[in-house]
Amino acid sequence: MNPDNPVIEINHLVRKYGRTDAVNDLSLRVRRGQCYGFFGRNGAGKTTTIKCLLNLLRPTAGQVHVFGLEPARNEVAVKERLAYVPDTVAFYPWMTVRGVLEYLASFRKRWNRNTERDLINQFRLDESKKVNALSRGQKTQLALIGAICAEPELLVLDEPTSGLDPIVRREFIETVIGAYQEAAPGNRTVFVSTHLISEFEGLIDEFTVIENGREAMTLGADEARSRYKKIRARFAGLAPEFKPPEVKQVRREGRELEFIANGHSEEILERLNALGPEEVRTESLTLEEIFVAALK
Amino acid sequence: MVIQLNFKSGKPVYLQVADQVKAAAASGALRPGEPLPSIRPLAEQLRINRNTVAKAYAELEGQGVIETVAGRGCFLKENHSPFRKEVRLKLLSEEIDAAIVQAHHLQVDEKEFLGLVRDRLDRFAQRNKATKEQL
Repeated sequence: MNPDNPVIEINHLVRKYGRTDAVNDLSLRVRRGQCYGFFGRNGAGKTTTIKCLLNLLRPTAGQVHVFGLEPARNEVAVKERLAYVPDTVAFYPWMTVRGVLEYLASFRKRWNRNTERDLINQFRLDESKKVNALSRGQKTQLALIGAICAEPELLVLDEPTSGLDPIVRREFIETVIGAYQEAAPGNRTVFVSTHLISEFEGLIDEFTVIENGREAMTLGADEARSRYKKIRARFAGLAPEFKPPEVKQVRREGRELEFIANGHSEEILERLNALGPEEVRTESLTLEEIFVAALK
Repeated sequence: MVIQLNFKSGKPVYLQVADQVKAAAASGALRPGEPLPSIRPLAEQLRINRNTVAKAYAELEGQGVIETVAGRGCFLKENHSPFRKEVRLKLLSEEIDAAIVQAHHLQVDEKEFLGLVRDRLDRFAQRNKATKEQL
């Protein structure tokens, strides 16, 4: 496979449940080595899209390619090169932690015992414990260890941190993704769906926001942060009307004016300064704030 | 060397990392021949993607600030710029232009601006002296 070909390519994907369009004309591509965010509210169509990538669902229309292959026609060839962690992980409850890992390893051509040992130690998982005695966070940790020890080229994570307490979340997602990418960073692609965007702020290279099954926005993370700015100005007297076409969510209260600019911030600041404010402050939006702004 | 990221600055994250390494070198917090943190621990500590740290280090290497020694990591280089003086001055002019634009928007006049440049140069000189005296 040509390394420049996208690892995931979705073209005009439509998936209906009865008369409901869960995904409606979605297109995106994920390049090799990227950490790609797939952001949307609950029910936006994230999980349906992921299930189409894994051939757990068939598209109603449109095409899905993973490693340049159609998952429906090349199911094994696709699945042996990726690992998937669903939002709710389930194991055979009678198995121990060790048993689960051995069971998962038995399906795989490769299994990195060093990574396995390092992460078990880091997460302090007891290998002899039965999985039904694990907490939800521990079950997710176990699923993530099982996913990355196989050293797949693509790691698909569906809401990996939802339902976990904030301390666990902060700790482990960097650890897992760091360990995953370590051996071959250029050939380790992550596709992560989430609505808890702030957790992934620094990890995401590029993202798509999905809303009602449609793409609402696709941008590089740095590009997004340089485009979306929150600008606040304070005036000596009452704040004047100020509504250039590129700004959103203008708030005007007393002497203060606050709004969000989507690009063109140089020109907007120029025009704002012409109104003679006492003070102007500019800051970029975080990915989470951009997500909120995109959906308003 | 302490690196602090600000996602609200609007500056690409890899440039924030690269610029802070350069600032540490300019203030003596990082000295020639000293190693930079390895990519994975730094990425985990900053909670960012390792690609971003790798990109910052590649940028620094391209600018001749650091060098990679195979199997040992990245190190700060002595007298680092590979560019000719005119090129270096031109690169610096672009940065100064950006600061001038910013000064205009923040209503800082010429005199205040030049005074601030003087103050900042003194600050770096003092910090450099302090780190040398600690040796």
